[in-house]
Amino acid sequence: MLLEVLLALVLGAVVLLVLRRSKAAVLKTEDGWWGAGSPPAGAEDESIRPFQVETSREEIEDLQRRIDQTRPVPSLEDSQFNYGFNSTYLQKVAAYWRNEFDWSKQVDKLNQYPHFKTKIEGIDVHYVHVKPKNLPEGRTAVPLIMVHGWPGSFYEFYGILPLLTEPANADDVAFEVICPSIPGYGFSEAPRKKGFNSVCAARVFLKLMRRLGFGRFYAQGGDWGWQITTNMAQLDPTAVKGLHINFAPVENVGPLLILSILLGRRFPGLFGFTELDVKRLYPRVEKMLVEPLKETGYFHIQATKPDTAGRGLNDSPVGLAAYILEKFSTWTDHEFRNLEDGGLERKFSLEDLLTNVMIYWTTGSITSSMRFYKENFAKGFYPPHARIPVTVPTGVAAFPNELMHTPKLWAKQKNHKLKTYTTMARGGHFAAMEEPGLMAQDIQKFIKVVEGKK
Amino acid sequence: RQRLTEELDRPKLQLLALSSVGIGLTYFLVWRRKAKKSIPLGDGWWGHGQQTLRDDNKIYPFKVETSEDEINDLHRRIDQMRYTEPLEDCGFQYGFNSNYLQKVVSYWRNQFDWKKQVAKLNEYPHFKTNIEGLDVHFVHVRAPHRPGQKVLPLMLVHGWPGSFFEFYKILPLLTDTKDDLAFEVICPSIPGYGFSEAPHKQGFCSLDAARIFLKLMERLGFNKFYLQGGDWGSLITTNMAQMKPQCVSGLHLNMLAVTKRGVGMLLSLIIGPYLPFLVGFTREDVRRLFPYFEKNVYDLLMESGYMHIQGTKPDTAGCGLNDSPVGLAAYILEKFSTWTDRKNRDLEDGDLEKKYSLDDLLTNVMIYWTTRSIIPSMRFYKENFKTNPQNRVDARTGIFVPMGHAAFPNELMHCPLPWARWRFKDIRSYSYMPRGGHFAAFEEPRLLAEDFVKFVRKVEGKKR
Repeated sequence: MLLEVLLALVLGAVVLLVLRRSKAAVLKTEDGWWGAGSPPAGAEDESIRPFQVETSREEIEDLQRRIDQTRPVPSLEDSQFNYGFNSTYLQKVAAYWRNEFDWSKQVDKLNQYPHFKTKIEGIDVHYVHVKPKNLPEGRTAVPLIMVHGWPGSFYEFYGILPLLTEPANADDVAFEVICPSIPGYGFSEAPRKKGFNSVCAARVFLKLMRRLGFGRFYAQGGDWGWQITTNMAQLDPTAVKGLHINFAPVENVGPLLILSILLGRRFPGLFGFTELDVKRLYPRVEKMLVEPLKETGYFHIQATKPDTAGRGLNDSPVGLAAYILEKFSTWTDHEFRNLEDGGLERKFSLEDLLTNVMIYWTTGSITSSMRFYKENFAKGFYPPHARIPVTVPTGVAAFPNELMHTPKLWAKQKNHKLKTYTTMARGGHFAAMEEPGLMAQDIQKFIKVVEGKK
Repeated sequence: RQRLTEELDRPKLQLLALSSVGIGLTYFLVWRRKAKKSIPLGDGWWGHGQQTLRDDNKIYPFKVETSEDEINDLHRRIDQMRYTEPLEDCGFQYGFNSNYLQKVVSYWRNQFDWKKQVAKLNEYPHFKTNIEGLDVHFVHVRAPHRPGQKVLPLMLVHGWPGSFFEFYKILPLLTDTKDDLAFEVICPSIPGYGFSEAPHKQGFCSLDAARIFLKLMERLGFNKFYLQGGDWGSLITTNMAQMKPQCVSGLHLNMLAVTKRGVGMLLSLIIGPYLPFLVGFTREDVRRLFPYFEKNVYDLLMESGYMHIQGTKPDTAGCGLNDSPVGLAAYILEKFSTWTDRKNRDLEDGDLEKKYSLDDLLTNVMIYWTTRSIIPSMRFYKENFKTNPQNRVDARTGIFVPMGHAAFPNELMHCPLPWARWRFKDIRSYSYMPRGGHFAAFEEPRLLAEDFVKFVRKVEGKKR
């Protein structure tokens, strides 16, 4: 009896799926303008200007003064990172930041790759453009755009850039990489008008790639970068040769998904669930409701009151560091919540972590970065792009400690040309920064599958 | 006698026994339902390290103080504010509008006189006393002795992001009355808020605050008293009434959270808009509740981001606010704008100064700023949401003391009388207030005082 019901349900689901697939639509978008006031008459300035990150004595002294003015509040006894960033450890980080961190040296490090700015839709878009130095004769570099998320930046990719542009292996693909900053983040100008969501960012980045002369290219992203690169593939499937993502949360809940959630524990084989899938998804209530609730407070306040949420963080560098670095701790491994130091320095160096924080601090972009959350949920949880599948070749790198786990079956619902799905050996949300080697390996694997098939 | 037992043979005896038990059981069950249930008091200790044996029960007078250093430091930090331009035409929809914030901050920097406000705070006598390892602060206002006047003790409990200061306008209306009824008022600060010491141990929730406040009233010599509260104050005073109903003459609340959902609520939501009288709704209830999804689900989602982050990561959420007074002001004052009237979200200045003066608003902010209590105040959310709020002992127990509710039209949630009756078994007064929002005592002190006194008269009139 149960088997009959099951079969009927599965059949029904398959039929539905087939019907839905044939209705695949293309994502539409309109042009936009995000500068102050009204757009000026005449054509936009499309020049590409070289850009250097700079700092000054005043900037560093102001930072140090503010760190000195911190008013710490002791954490509750034995609370580790369960109430947020632990106060005792925060003082250690602040002391390092104040006395040992060398921002001038980090600025030089940032400038080791060429930076540029160009005006698109009324705002200055910043990006890093890295070309391979030693390309053998006859070979061309494969263009790749890598998009960061929140609270990250282009700097997250500095560890993986050399692995992609100068691969050690002779038969690995050499990439020419573009790392832009999402408008409102870091050195990219913030939109002045309401409504700048991921589809707008995708459109802006498509224009950027076109302006740089790339007709067809690959895209890689996690966190917001996943959403933006996915939108790029949906807006212009002919331009995006392949999409590699390390984050693939479910946007559309369909019958197959529900079925797999209900029965996946008892019958994992039916849905292709691996051991990791079962471990990450069950028990259901704890893994799919309680855990996400525990970790999405920031999301909720940023998606509703970003200007309030960011206000204090733009005056207090230590507050900003606590807010941002809490994510680098907890989203790398949830178990780090039980450590006095949040396990922060197990996978990252304080130098790298604070460089990322400095990008938010020196540009004063924390508030505009938070607004992106509100803009993306203005139309609710099912905007048009959530219902449209991705039809370009896609590769998913599923890191075991990612915030939300997506089994292969679920990834296939959205990405109809899933070419590779790799369960990675280790790593969390900030995959490119935490495990650049593993990530680069998977990108190579994905590219070879896509290029091999041509 | 022998004839009786002969007549009552075995089956009849069994029937008699069974029916006696049955009647007894029924009576017992009915009586039990009507019997006043209370929740356990529990105990706690919240100081540093191990509990000390020495228990200091003394009550010490306390004065709010300030210094040149404190004011200069504040000014320096305000001057260091790094402005972020708001989006065009966004009003208060994205949070506190940066343009208007600059005006507020400029007033704060150049015109606000903290020394004068501190003197104002000290107009009423303040005290501190150590309970369960924490220094608990309170204001104690006695009624001036008037012949023929009955003076009743009353405790007013504030919420977040408020403080005892919210009651400064209503205090004279309750203590200094010209008629036959006046009140002697105690306004404590919740531990972790303002001048009350913050708990050093995890787990300090509303039940603990309730017990501490009961101990406070006991220490002050009050055996029976009234309670009034909104926001956290509503939950804490309710817990107090559940713990020691024999001490609480009456409980007056301006905010009611509906905790018991279920078929009854669902039915009233489905039938309510069409046949309100069938489910006990008035026309005003319908006006305030529906469209349900928009007003109660969507709006609540829009407004509860702070609750979500404070209920999970309070130490992170408050960290920057403890260094940046401007950030703290924006965070707190956004609530005074939006929770007074949700329409204020569409206005460039959030209509903040329509019902409040900047002096009063900033004094409340200064209480959080000077005491560095923003983080502990936020922790209270996490401590109360640790166990599922619907499963906690107080959520499963009714309240049997006389209760009165003042339902303000712009309060965050509306609770119609039939829903309130699920938990409050002795509601003596339920009033639809003509105007006012969440910060009722602060915004409409006269209306609240009038309703409270009306409630007390009803209770006192019925007393035996």
